[in-house]
Amino acid sequence: MFRAKRRTVVSLAAVAVALLAGALVITFTQGTGQAANPNLVVYQVGHRPKAPDFTATSLTGTPISFSSYRGKVTVVNFWGSWCDPCRREAPTLAVVAEQYKSRGVSFLGVDVSDSTASAQAFIRKEGISYPSVFDSGYVVTGDFGRVVLVSATPTTIVVDRTGHIAGLIYGSTTYSELTGLLSDAGVTT
Amino acid sequence: MTDVHAPQSQSPSAETDGTDPFGINETEPAGTGGGVTAGPPASGVGWLRWLWRQLTSMRTALVLLFLLALGSVPGSVLPQQGSDPAAVQQYFTAHPALAPWLNHFGLFNVFAAPWFAAIYLLLFTSLVGCVVPRTFRLAGSARTPPPRAPRNLERLPHSGSYPSTLPPEAAVAVAASVLGGHRFRLRRPADSDSGHWVSAEKGYLREVGNLLFHLALLGVLVSIALGGLFGFKADKLLVEGTGFRDTRAAFDEFHPGRLVSGADLAPFSITLNSFSASYLESGQSRGQPAAFHARITYTATPGDAPHSFDLQVNHPLDVDSTKVYLIGHGYAPVFKVTTATGQVVYDQATPFIPANTGTFMSDGVVKVPDAAPAQLGFMGVFVPTAVRVGDTLESAFPAPDNPAVSLIGYAGDLGMNSGVPQSVYQLDTTAMRQLTAAPHALLPGQTWTLPGGNGKITFVGYKQWVSLAITYDPGQLPALICGMLALGGLLLSFLIRRRRVFVRAVPADSGLGSVVTIGGLARTDASGGFEDEFASLSAELAAADAAAVAPAQEPEPTNQSETGA
Amino acid sequence: MTVNLGLAQVSSDFLIATLMIYSLAVLAFAGDFAFGRPRRAAAGAAAAIANGKRAAELATVGAAGAVGTAGAAGPGAAGPGAADSGAASVDGASGGPSVPDAAATPGGGRAVALPARQVPALAAAWQAGPWVRIALTFSVVGILAHLVAVVTRGFAVHRAPWGNMYEFVTALTCVAAMFFLYVMIRYRAWALGVFVMGAVVAALGLAETVIYTAAGPLVPALQSYWLSIHVTAMTLATGIFFVAAVLGILYLVAERYRARVAAGKAQPGNGLLVRIPGSAQLDKLTYRTVIFGFPIWTFGVIAGAIWADQAWGRYWGWDPVETWAFITWVLYAAYLHARATAGWRGRAAHYINLLGFTSLTFNMIVVQVFITGMHSYAGVS
Repeated sequence: MFRAKRRTVVSLAAVAVALLAGALVITFTQGTGQAANPNLVVYQVGHRPKAPDFTATSLTGTPISFSSYRGKVTVVNFWGSWCDPCRREAPTLAVVAEQYKSRGVSFLGVDVSDSTASAQAFIRKEGISYPSVFDSGYVVTGDFGRVVLVSATPTTIVVDRTGHIAGLIYGSTTYSELTGLLSDAGVTT
Repeated sequence: MTDVHAPQSQSPSAETDGTDPFGINETEPAGTGGGVTAGPPASGVGWLRWLWRQLTSMRTALVLLFLLALGSVPGSVLPQQGSDPAAVQQYFTAHPALAPWLNHFGLFNVFAAPWFAAIYLLLFTSLVGCVVPRTFRLAGSARTPPPRAPRNLERLPHSGSYPSTLPPEAAVAVAASVLGGHRFRLRRPADSDSGHWVSAEKGYLREVGNLLFHLALLGVLVSIALGGLFGFKADKLLVEGTGFRDTRAAFDEFHPGRLVSGADLAPFSITLNSFSASYLESGQSRGQPAAFHARITYTATPGDAPHSFDLQVNHPLDVDSTKVYLIGHGYAPVFKVTTATGQVVYDQATPFIPANTGTFMSDGVVKVPDAAPAQLGFMGVFVPTAVRVGDTLESAFPAPDNPAVSLIGYAGDLGMNSGVPQSVYQLDTTAMRQLTAAPHALLPGQTWTLPGGNGKITFVGYKQWVSLAITYDPGQLPALICGMLALGGLLLSFLIRRRRVFVRAVPADSGLGSVVTIGGLARTDASGGFEDEFASLSAELAAADAAAVAPAQEPEPTNQSETGA
Repeated sequence: MTVNLGLAQVSSDFLIATLMIYSLAVLAFAGDFAFGRPRRAAAGAAAAIANGKRAAELATVGAAGAVGTAGAAGPGAAGPGAADSGAASVDGASGGPSVPDAAATPGGGRAVALPARQVPALAAAWQAGPWVRIALTFSVVGILAHLVAVVTRGFAVHRAPWGNMYEFVTALTCVAAMFFLYVMIRYRAWALGVFVMGAVVAALGLAETVIYTAAGPLVPALQSYWLSIHVTAMTLATGIFFVAAVLGILYLVAERYRARVAAGKAQPGNGLLVRIPGSAQLDKLTYRTVIFGFPIWTFGVIAGAIWADQAWGRYWGWDPVETWAFITWVLYAAYLHARATAGWRGRAAHYINLLGFTSLTFNMIVVQVFITGMHSYAGVS
């Protein structure tokens, strides 16, 4: 009797261990690679990934070559007129772009999954003065995506003067977040 | 001469004395018959050993197989999160009390639930724990020769005898050469005391097949895990004329494995040039799709020469081991919205989702956040072949023979700045006013001037869209190979029998020649067929024996004819 | 390519003819069952009682066992041989012709007590009595008509004729009938005819009435050469498991009867039950049938996975039909394991066999029709 009871206990313990093992295996193999994205990623000097070089066409049809932005701190902002958080952060971007123009900071937008008509209507409405790449084919997005995680809009990437990525902001950015990242990239106030 | 004798009545130790030449009770590893053989475990190690014996017993394997089958049942009758999240939501709304409980037990994601994983982990542990010792035992038995021939061959399930004119040793030698010719492994007596006999055994491949099958199943499991870790699945909706690059941001949905990084995605680009679907025009299956063709151009790496490809169902594109599949299609009507002052604020194809896959009547939403003076939103229904039924517009056929669209317009605040993310296929009209009471129908080219100075909307035309699945699974090929190995092992274990044949020769009572007895048995011969083999083998042995005698007899008749006149 | 309606009509007509011919075959089998061998069976049963339980338990499969025992018993040992065949073998008739064969030896003239080869199966079939002859003739003619029906359907729709449930059932019953004919002749199991062919008639009747689908082309997802591979394998395996299920039911009936006889609760030699083969043979027959079908089912599942990858982008997605095919596979694997596990070998194993076929049928009829998933190709509305 007593032996049978101990056997049951041991068997149940074994089943519990099996369940635990199952949970571990599941979490390890079937969890997604998309861990909760931190809002802000900053790279220290010397550990900064190199931003890709690219040539593309702007919304107005003029050619854009990223190599011409070398030597300046560049804010690359991935957006779309259909994207709610992009619309929310647009005024912030416009203000920071104006304020930091004299400090040698350039802004470049990358418009994804959009039509030129809607994008230009958005730019007009928000008063955005900097150019944007018309990246309907996700080419520029893909180039950046091989170097850092770019998964959704808006994503804001700050590239330092040497062409290396100083940091990223995921989601709608705030004034303090963006200016903080700019100073990390070496922009003096 | 011989009764049919069921071998089950013999004791396990009978293998050595020849009465049970096959140890036929050895279907299970010793001591696993339910654990009733040993006394209570004495110590912790004893408990572990007891537990291990329980786990690797056939009975436990059987129970686990049942649990595996049973556990899969809810995964097939309840909606599952992985394949149809919308249906899961519907289930929650339809069964508000029951659904949370089912969710608690993981029943909406059964195949990723820890308890399901526990079942197959236990099953595979049991499998490995059983297979590995058996592999060693097989290696051992492959080295040990067949057992000695039993004294009384007539007690075996199959036996026979034939007289021979050869002396016992020669008769056995003839038999041995025949058996050797059939690739039996032979054993001869070491000493002359036990008489003249030969033991033959064949069919080791059966156990090899059995072990191969079980190990290959393990290989399948490992391959699936590999694919889960390093692979990814993504969905993309693509309108005619547009393209995308294989990057995370481009996908509508992205499900990466745990160890997938952006650099793993092959840098190909795809552009959809055109899509055509043909439907059956007549007959009983009118309206059933006949063929789909998505004509795409792709480049494998940036800068490569572009290639064209006709993507179809059952004909996916394979670029650098990433595969692109055509999953679905639909219509994307093209709208142009201008403000009252003539500025174009919207001009694009808007994907509509088919609500009815038979007629392809589709629903969609147009959002114009930069319209002036107020933001505009439209809920629309697109019908490829429009027919008016009373007041409503319905679709008679899935092909775009007579396309039309019906719109309800709203003006106000779309709610896009609220901070709550919205679906592009849903319109939040809480802060908007409806522009007209009734929907407004448009044919291609027609324009609707909106009331209140809100501008105009033109139904320019339509394009089609395709939905693609992009997948990368490095475990796919290994899983296939393991599957085929499992099948091969299965066939081997079913077709091959482990069998033993014994031949004994004793001097004949008359003094001349000998009497040869043959006996044979097959281990677990439920699959049958050994009777035939034994019968033909016996006939062959007798024939070979007769042939071996004949040359020696030839000189005699000539002598006799001379003397006998 | 458009459907050839003329050939489709020919197919339907031949299928109706098949149904009628199979029904006549079932009647003839029933005739043999009822009137064919009462004397032989009764005599055999009496001898079995005389020889005690041992004879009934020691029978090996079918006539192979009968011939083996008769042959091994030597020429003239017709007593125990006949007792074995009567009590437990499937057909005592073959015990007759095999005895002279055992005496007619190879090697010219010497009396050899070697196990004899079996009588050629077809000859034994023809000698099994008038009812069996009629039943066999009808069965063969019916199978030919069935084959014509399936093949013409294929030509009518310009593809392998198993693209929806109606075609699938039509094809699998053809496989079942052909496979059963082979099993029946090889093992001289005439008594099984009425049951298996009866089930075939029932399934075909269902196909003609409830799930009939007019000939038509396939949706693009099914337009692939994998149709010929995956569905063919599933058709074959289902047909074979169909036979195994009928044999399993018969086993349970025979086993219950044997247990009751052994317990003294039933009279041996009475009633219909003595005419069906002994439970030991049915057990072996069922096992051999399942191990024939199991690798084909395994191959069918693998082929289905390869095709799913081609069409849907993943080789396994736990779609309801996939899941139930997996459950069926696991249950038949459990059956095979049960046969090697002490305490599970007899009835329990056969219950598992029937559970496996129930799962298969559930998958075919309920899951494919009523549960929506990617694999909803039954064509039945």
